[in-house]
Formats: sequence, structure tokens, C-alpha cells
Amino acid sequence: MKIRRTAALLLSACLLLPSAAALSGCSGSDEIILRIYNWEEYIDEGGEGSYLYDYEIDENAPSVLDDFCAWYEEEYGTPIRVEYSTFGTNEDLYNQLKLGDTYDLVCPSDYMIMKLMAEDMLEPFTEDFFDESDENNYYINNVSSYIEGIFENNSVTITSEDGSRSEHSWSEYAAGYMWGTTGFIYNPEYVDEAELDGWDTMLDTAFANKVTTKDNVRDTYFVGLAILYRDELLALQERNAAGELDDDAYNAAITELLNRTDEETVARVQEILLEMKSNIYGFETDTGKNDMVTGKIWINFAWSGDAVYAMDLAEYPESEEEEPAYFNYYVPEECANLWFDGWAMPKGANRQAAQAFINYLSMPQTAVRNMYYIGYTSVIAGDEVLAYVEDTYGVEEGDEEDAVEYDVSYFFGEGTTILTYEDQLSRQLYAQYPTEEVMHRCAVMDYFADEAGERINELWTQIKGETLDAWAIVVICVAVLVIALAVIYVKLGAKVDFFRLKPKKGYKKIKEEPVPFTVK
Amino acid sequence: MKIPRISRKTLGIPYAVFLICFVIIPMLIIVVYAFTDQNMRFSFENFIEFFSDPTKLSTIVYSLVIALLTTCFTLLIAYPVAYILARSKMKKKYVLLLLFVTPMWINFVLRVNAIRELLNWIGLLGETNYFNTVLGMVYDFLPFMILPLYTTMIKIDNSLLEASADLGGNPFVTFTRVTVPLSMPGVLSGITMVFLPSMTNYVVSDMLGNSKITIIGKFIETYFGTDWHMGSMIALILLVIVFATTALSGGFRSENNTRGATI
Repeated sequence: MKIRRTAALLLSACLLLPSAAALSGCSGSDEIILRIYNWEEYIDEGGEGSYLYDYEIDENAPSVLDDFCAWYEEEYGTPIRVEYSTFGTNEDLYNQLKLGDTYDLVCPSDYMIMKLMAEDMLEPFTEDFFDESDENNYYINNVSSYIEGIFENNSVTITSEDGSRSEHSWSEYAAGYMWGTTGFIYNPEYVDEAELDGWDTMLDTAFANKVTTKDNVRDTYFVGLAILYRDELLALQERNAAGELDDDAYNAAITELLNRTDEETVARVQEILLEMKSNIYGFETDTGKNDMVTGKIWINFAWSGDAVYAMDLAEYPESEEEEPAYFNYYVPEECANLWFDGWAMPKGANRQAAQAFINYLSMPQTAVRNMYYIGYTSVIAGDEVLAYVEDTYGVEEGDEEDAVEYDVSYFFGEGTTILTYEDQLSRQLYAQYPTEEVMHRCAVMDYFADEAGERINELWTQIKGETLDAWAIVVICVAVLVIALAVIYVKLGAKVDFFRLKPKKGYKKIKEEPVPFTVK
Repeated sequence: MKIPRISRKTLGIPYAVFLICFVIIPMLIIVVYAFTDQNMRFSFENFIEFFSDPTKLSTIVYSLVIALLTTCFTLLIAYPVAYILARSKMKKKYVLLLLFVTPMWINFVLRVNAIRELLNWIGLLGETNYFNTVLGMVYDFLPFMILPLYTTMIKIDNSLLEASADLGGNPFVTFTRVTVPLSMPGVLSGITMVFLPSMTNYVVSDMLGNSKITIIGKFIETYFGTDWHMGSMIALILLVIVFATTALSGGFRSENNTRGATI
């Protein structure tokens, strides 16, 4: 989902080039226009780094968008043109929509989908999108039943313009794209997994200045909540293990804890986070990976998709001189955040074309292309996706002795296991498809509306801002005022000699006398 | 054949249009946003909230301090450099000047990244966040201080210095009573060019201070993600500070045409 801000800044100068290229992708006369608003670098853009399923790496590989246009025209007989643009944060997307930008398809994260739904800004999917008998409905036929279940079981109260309220499940308004968890990447060279103490690691002085968190309010607030309710979370887990709580009740209980926004909770989280701020190395959005490689930090809060990307980059350095580094992924024992990015159609969208695009992305072979290009995990669970995962992480021939079985049946369907190497159990495969047991302790974070939202944003201000004692503020203000007054004094008395030096011995200063007025 | 008369005023129209569209109207929008609440009703709420929140006040005071430190250090470094460059009889001093100015032609984010790697190599990254931030700012704004100083100093007539020496002034007196006062316009323009941007240059504080340092520009950016009204209010307060400093340093004096040129 997330931001690569430096990359964005660096590329800002040539931003127009890729979008221009995307615009020129497909053409024709009376064509349909499909306006898509997506995360930066969140789709296979073709060229180098693109993946063709027959394992050829081709510099001139077409982008998914180009292929979609060709596919659409063949399928529906109408030419289509994709107007593709990108955003950096969910808030940017929201602001653009509020300002009146029109799109047919946008890709917000979980909480933003809920917010857009609640504010009645989205168009529901048409009935035939869910018709499983139509083999062109790739989404409904291929999406993992696990993700589908989440989308079915969670709902949002929509308040429409006339004030009527109604409850709708996510699946009516959004289709999944990528998903994952949050956790830590750590460098096993310096850190032993046994030393990691759940989210409390952030406060652990043994890792002072060696751990980073994300520079955004939601992820950091989640960490604060997890630290605050650690005991409660672990107690719930024990009851779940003892069979007193079934999995659904357990998940509902931790989800409730991790979405609390009452004043007392926020105040206590603030204390925890201020303590955390003094212990951590910093807040980052995209420097974490590099700092891991250089050994500057040992532990990095990461979204699982970014974690895979970071582990891949460290393992296969771009230049041959660089030593490969091996990082592990860790999901804290008490809880983690389950997130996903999904496709939704703003009001007034061309639903037919938008849904066709989602279906095209949901073809397992397209999903594989995007997974390869982005490094994130698709919600699609077709055979080709499983084959791709097995190709990537499965054992090679001859290594069967060392292989371990990894159960991914919750995602790919009953009885699916992958034969893999043991280290993958804490590396890329684990980050892409955590175990079912991990999924039980993953909570979806709600969006924070109105007062709760203001409280959380205020908390962020308090955490990120500087704190000075009152006397320091007064002293500095007085000092600034004195400087200002001095400058004014010097300016008004412009004749005042700034470097008033005493005349040397034997000399004296002559007063300047005004030149007398003379008549010609 | 008549040649259409173009008065001087007509020549100014493109600039006026540009100014109205891209400076005045956006500024008015900021003012409107700053003094309204979420429902676009007039309110002083943001103003009161800003001045009653110790964190926000601390942050703006901190930004002031960082900006002041940056300005002092750039001035301390740039003044001797500009003096030596302007006074030296070297034939190729333009090459030297070029050496100081070339960094400006390299993308700013790249340069900050380079400094980040350097600090990491020395071992200061993550240890001395405030120092790193000021260092990065000084590095970044140094050319903006050197250039105006150099251009004013090179214009100082050598005969004035000779006259001072003839009248018995030793080099120190000549420097303090002739060179310094005559270079003041350059100093002032250098200060305005360094002080103001260093209050908002949050790329430096983010990258070199690991986002643990928050200056007022970062606040504005954060607020524009969630609350445009508060963001506008902070931007407006910053604007007032900018106006005050510019007025103090004499930037509005019309007869002031001896100020240093800038690139």
C-alpha cells in the first residue's frame, strides 16, 4: 500500500513521463475511458522488473494496463482507454475525491474504504459481478475464501444524503487487491527471535536506537494500543488456547481492544508512545530497508508486503559487490494488524468497465504478474498463484530431505501445503502467507470518525511535535523580541554609527552640520 | 501603417495575471480556511487552539531556533569565504565561486541523501538529531548566503578601502568601518534567503533527524492530510512571521537597490 516518499520526490520531475506513457497506452475513436487512481508502483508497469509467466524477463514487456486494453477490446468489442494516475497516501485520495476529482476505480486501504462507504461516496457492485457461473467473473471465482469471508462478515453503516442509515457488508462496495499483516523485519545477525518481546520490543532499552516505526498515525497508534493492552491480549489468547473462547469470539475481542479510542485510552497510549519516541531510532516511511542493510538498525516495523520487498532486495543485491543480507519477518505474539487494499468505485463510476478491470486483475496469471512486480500478496488464490508461490519458495529437486510442510489451507483451500525450506518459515513465505494461527490474532483497524479521529490526530501532533518547558518558550520569545527591537532601534536611528569607535588620541569627532540653504 | 502602442503597463499584464492566479487567490483561500471550521463557518477556534497548545507553540519556537542557528552558522561560514573570493586578486576566482555554487544545481533530495550517508558513516546519524538537522540546513543553504555576499562585496570600490588606509585606518578598522557596513545589504538579503526557508525545510529534518525532529513546515504538511483548517492557520501564522522578518530586515524599502543579486 504504502509510500515511498523519497522515490516519489526524486521522480517527481519525471512524474509526467510514466503517466504520459500510460495515457498513450491504448487509443481509438469512440472509446470508453476508464479513470483509475492507484498507489504509486502498485501495478505491473511493464518493462524491466516485469514478469512474464514463462520466466522471460523482457525490457519491452507490456504493462498490465496495456494488456487490459487489448483484452477488453477483444472481449467486449469496444475500445477502451485507461487514464491512470497515482497517489501517495489514503488522505490524498480522500482529499482529491472531496475536491471533486472523478474516477471510475480507486484503490484505498481498508479503513479508507470504510470511511468512503460510511460517507456514501461509493457505488455498489452490480449483482452480476458476484455471479459465479459466469467464467468471466474472475474475481468471485478466484478470490481466496478467507478474504471473501472477511469482506462478507464486516459491515459499515452507510448514512445516505437523505439521512437514512443502512448496514452493508464490505463486499457490496469493495473488492480486494493486496493484503497482509504488520510486524517486524529483524536482522538475525544481531537479534535473536527469542529476544523479541512482542510490540514491547519498541520500548526495550536493549534495542535503544536500533528499532524504527512508521511515520504515520494509524500504524503507530496500533503499536501503542498493543503495548497498552498486552496483558489483556495475552490473557484472551490463553483462553482461546484453552478452548474457553472460540476463534471468532477471540478475534472479535481483540479487535474491540485494538479499536478503542476513548479519551482515557488515548491519553495512556500517548504516554507509551512518548516513551517509545525516546527509545526508537526514528520514524520512517522508506529509509528503513536501507538502514537495515547498513546495520544501522536491527528491527524495523514493516507491512508484510514491504517486508518481502526488503528481504528480497537484501538477499539479492543489485550490484555484485554487495554482500547479500538475510532478514527475518516476525509477527508479534500478542496481535497484529490485518490490512488490505481494495478496489472501490466512487459515485458515478462506469461500473461495467471498472468491474471488468477488477476481473482482469483477478485472473490468476495477472495476479501473479502484479505480485512479482510489487512484492505484495494478492487476495487471489487460483492454481497459478499457488504454482507461482511453490516455484518461488518451494524446495528444488533433490532437496526434499530438508523440506518442511507449510500449511496454507486457510488461504488456498482445504489441504493445501507447500514443501519449503525451513528458513522460509520465518522469511518471505511466512510474510506473504502467515500461518492460520497468526491470522487468528490479526485485527482489522476501523476508521476513526469525527471526535475519535480528531483525538487520534491530536495525539499524533503531541507525539511528533516538540515539547519545551514553559520557561524555555518564554526565554526564547523574549530573546527573539529583544533581537527584533534591537534591529528596529538600529534601523530607526539610521544615523547611529553601528560600530561606534572612539576617535584616536589627538582626533575628535566633528558633528555633522546641515548644509545651509543658499540662494543662487 | 500604425504600430500598435504597447505601454509599459501592458507589459506587466502577464505577470499580474500570474500573480493573481497563483499567489493572491491561493493566499486568500488559505485565509478563508484558517478562519473557518469543518462546516465552513467563521471561527477563531483554530487560532485559539494553536496558541493554547504547548506542543504547537514549542514546535514553532523550535523551528525559530533551528532557523536562527542555521542563519548564524551560514553567515559565519559564508562571510569569510565571500570576502576572500571578492578581495582575492586571483584571475580564476570565478572557478572558485562556481565550486561553491555548483551544489545548487544538483537535486536537493540527492544532496540530503548524500549527507545522510556521510553522517551514517561517521556514526552521527540517529545520535545527534538536532545537530544533524542544523548541519544539513547549513550545507543546503550555504550557496544562498555566499552569492548575495559575494555580489555586494565585489561591488565595493577598492578606492574606498585605500582612502580608509590613507586616513590612518588599520586593516581591522577598515574592515569594520568600511567593508562591513557596505556589505550589509548582502548580509540582509542572505539572511532572508536562509532564515525563511529553513523554518519549513522539513525534508532535511525528516531525513537527517529520522523524523524525530518536527519543524513547523512538517506540521503544515501533516495537517493538510487531515485538517485543512488547522493547516491553513499554521501556514498563515508562518506567513505573518515571514512578513515580520522581511520587514525587519528592510526587504520592503524601495530605495534599497544596492542589495545583493541572487541567482
